[in-house]
Amino acid sequence: MTSYIRNPLTLVWALLTIVTVVSWLTARGGGSAHVVNVTVTLVVLLIAAVKTQLVIWHFMEVRFAPRWLKLTTGGWLVGLLAFLLGFYFAGI
Amino acid sequence: MTKVAEESGSDISDTGRIAHLRSHVPGELSMWFFVIGDLLIFGAYFIGYVYYRGQDPDLFLQSQARLNLDIGAINTVILLTSSLFVALGTSAARNDKVQEAIRLFGIAFALGVAFPVMKAFEYIPEVTAGVTPGTNLFFMYYFVMTGLHLCHVTLGLVILGFVIRSLRVSAKPRMSFVETAATYWHMVDLLWILLFALLYLMR
Repeated sequence: MTSYIRNPLTLVWALLTIVTVVSWLTARGGGSAHVVNVTVTLVVLLIAAVKTQLVIWHFMEVRFAPRWLKLTTGGWLVGLLAFLLGFYFAGI
Repeated sequence: MTKVAEESGSDISDTGRIAHLRSHVPGELSMWFFVIGDLLIFGAYFIGYVYYRGQDPDLFLQSQARLNLDIGAINTVILLTSSLFVALGTSAARNDKVQEAIRLFGIAFALGVAFPVMKAFEYIPEVTAGVTPGTNLFFMYYFVMTGLHLCHVTLGLVILGFVIRSLRVSAKPRMSFVETAATYWHMVDLLWILLFALLYLMR
């Protein structure tokens, strides 16, 4: 049991869960008004990108993978975030 | 692909002996091509969603207000926790702790089952209130993307079931299969992280 709690994977999970709750509270608080809010959107999209990278890196074990897989997954995430933020700012 | 193990030296507790390796593709390469293809398809949906949202922000914001944020957040934590148990189970299997791996994958499976149950608690009130994919463009994207994701969850649960069966019947875990299944399940988790941010949280 102790070994699970002290496992680095559990620490990654704890971090992921904490940032999920932060995103949840951010949306419930400042974002609950359901009006355009650039700060809330930036916070939740950047947090989502960090969480996604943590899952890819630690849970999917891409940190041990060859360079091409690191570049492909990383490139996908960076490209996706760029398109999402670009279209978001173009639309407001 | 799985050439893990048989290297001497101290164990790294988080992922087992894999930590000694560099340039190790987890699981079958074919699964990674599937995962990358899926990421590109969902990525196209995500970009389309944000593009059309920009065309009519008020409609999307008012529609978003009708979603159940709490169930969305709880489901995020459920999938994250299920992913953790799959990662721990993979590590246990890699270290030949088969019984422990079965238990950990069993917990991951049970949490995975909770996801569609919670989703039903979300879908049913929406549909009975008259909200359908035909309501507007936001709900079209909402039902198509979460519906597609739910299909992935269902397939993932079937795969996790096969992993548990495989661990039960063979004394030596088939690591390539365990890693392939784990890769798929983690992809299901990360797609939901992005769906949660786009559908429920962004303003």
